[in-house]
Amino acid sequence: MEISIKQLEHRYMQGTPFERRALHDVNLQIPDETFLALIGHTGSGKSTLIQHLNGLLKPSAGSIKMGNTILEAGGKKQDLKPLRKKAGIVFQYPEHQLFEETVEKDIMFGPRNFGMSEEEAKRTASNVIEMVGLPQTVLSKSPFDLSGGQMRRVAIAGVLAMNPEVLILDEPTAGLDPSGRVEIMELFYELHQKNKLTTVLVTHSMEDASKYADEIAVMHKGELYLHGKPNEIFNERKALQEAGLDVPETVQFLLKWNEKSGQDLSLSAFTIEELAKSLGQALKKRGS
Amino acid sequence: MLQNVIIGQYYPASSPLHRMDSRSKLIAAFFYLFIVFLANNWITYGLLIAFTAVTISASKVPLRYLYKGLKPILILVVFTMLLHIFLTKEGDVLYKAGWFEIYEGGIIQGIFIAMRLLLLVLMTSLLTLTTTPIDITDGLEHLLGPLKKWKLPVHEFALMMSISLRFIPTLLQETEKIMKAQMARGADFTSGPIKERAKAFVPLLVPLFVSSFKRAEELALAMEARGYRGGEGRTRLRALQWHSRDTFALVLLISLTLSLFLLRS
Ligand SMILES: Nc1ncnc2c1ncn2[C@@H]1O[C@H](COP(=O)(O)OP(=O)(O)OP(=O)(O)O)[C@@H](O)[C@H]1O
Ligand SMILES: [Mg+2]
Repeated sequence: MEISIKQLEHRYMQGTPFERRALHDVNLQIPDETFLALIGHTGSGKSTLIQHLNGLLKPSAGSIKMGNTILEAGGKKQDLKPLRKKAGIVFQYPEHQLFEETVEKDIMFGPRNFGMSEEEAKRTASNVIEMVGLPQTVLSKSPFDLSGGQMRRVAIAGVLAMNPEVLILDEPTAGLDPSGRVEIMELFYELHQKNKLTTVLVTHSMEDASKYADEIAVMHKGELYLHGKPNEIFNERKALQEAGLDVPETVQFLLKWNEKSGQDLSLSAFTIEELAKSLGQALKKRGS
Repeated sequence: MLQNVIIGQYYPASSPLHRMDSRSKLIAAFFYLFIVFLANNWITYGLLIAFTAVTISASKVPLRYLYKGLKPILILVVFTMLLHIFLTKEGDVLYKAGWFEIYEGGIIQGIFIAMRLLLLVLMTSLLTLTTTPIDITDGLEHLLGPLKKWKLPVHEFALMMSISLRFIPTLLQETEKIMKAQMARGADFTSGPIKERAKAFVPLLVPLFVSSFKRAEELALAMEARGYRGGEGRTRLRALQWHSRDTFALVLLISLTLSLFLLRS
């Protein structure tokens, strides 16, 4: 689904002394089937931005177009359910949203709300639980008897069960162990490709952003600061540092390497594999 | 969503009212609760209104903000007013249509009662708007201190109160967060028949309770880890200080009371 954000502004607690402008003049086009990484310092407005994408927050000014649905400041009340079915959000710390007696019922909550039949929802639950790497036996357990990481997976399964067209992920792997992190990210990426999703990933990890994203958008103090392809963004080290961020560690390593060795390796290695490859080539060249 | 509940919410500003000692404000508010009932004619109500208006302007809390907090209570005020207008049968008949009659006394009663309610709510919200929750409980603990002699757990009550006050905003935030998360999963809190809507709150309340219990446990643990063991011999970082302005405020209130006694009919 194509997403188009125009001059979006959001103020929390409008009209009170606690009023706070969290977003200002954000313009962002996300083409269909794009994997967009949204990065930015803490408090820069990432979560605020993504909550506009399925109408959980209303714009104070500007508009958002999600496929055929238009959400704009001062717009009429509309039924947001169809949009919410298509745009699934995995919130920051989603394990806090679990409430049912069993994991199965909790996963079925979303699909049932969106009108799926009981049996179909059950089937979906047993599908997605495998997807997130948990055994079928978990389905009959209480979600509150699980470990934090398992609860996280169940919560993610609850959103995947809605089979959304747009997947919005707010730091889905924060606080998970390293292998869990990779597993979950790989799962999202696989789904993104297989189901031709449009994915918005909020992350603090430059490594994830560079590894999975087609495009990167950088937020800074409530404004869209940079937007482009990963190699474009990661060439702007000064600007990134200005926004309280930095380039991925692989690029930092290459910068140091070039400085110490006097070589001039290309800085476009964003993953460990790419880095190893480019170093290998450089060393081979020196050897011969 | 939950942004217009101001009870228990402090409005940060620097005003004479903000700078007053919380004890004098508590005494004044408590006192005020009683003297409102002294007013029974136009002059005394006028006096009370004038006093309240001066207090509000001295607090530097914007009227718009105050009004927002009052809104939920306005319905109650209007309802009581109408009840009095329709049910009081005193004075001249002003309007008559069949069995339906409105008396002059009813109108006056209605206005007075509405005013009384409004004044009460205004003054008590001013107290919480200009005093931080911590100051309020500190003040209460001080004022109720003598009751400790009778083995009343004043300190514990004060602590419980300050903890609950402290966590109201947190709880509201948490509620909003979970509401959003469930709405994203298709939950609907705002429409549908009553029975359905009541059911819709289960997905909200369960996580809220779970996290509250968890938080309470963590808080207790953190307090114990830092050596908390009750009010005995505990000193304060910020001691309350009684200034001449506090005495002045109470004197003002006493003069108001005397005038009310003199002018009431
Ligand atoms: N419910 C709210 N009420 C009032 N202000 C809020 C609320 N939520 C966020 N804010 C404010 O809006 C700004 C942007 O917050 P937001 O949560 O969007 O940041 P973020 O980029 O997601 O940060 P993080 O990386 O820490 O999650 C912050 O300054 C925050 O204090
Ligand atoms: Mg956030």
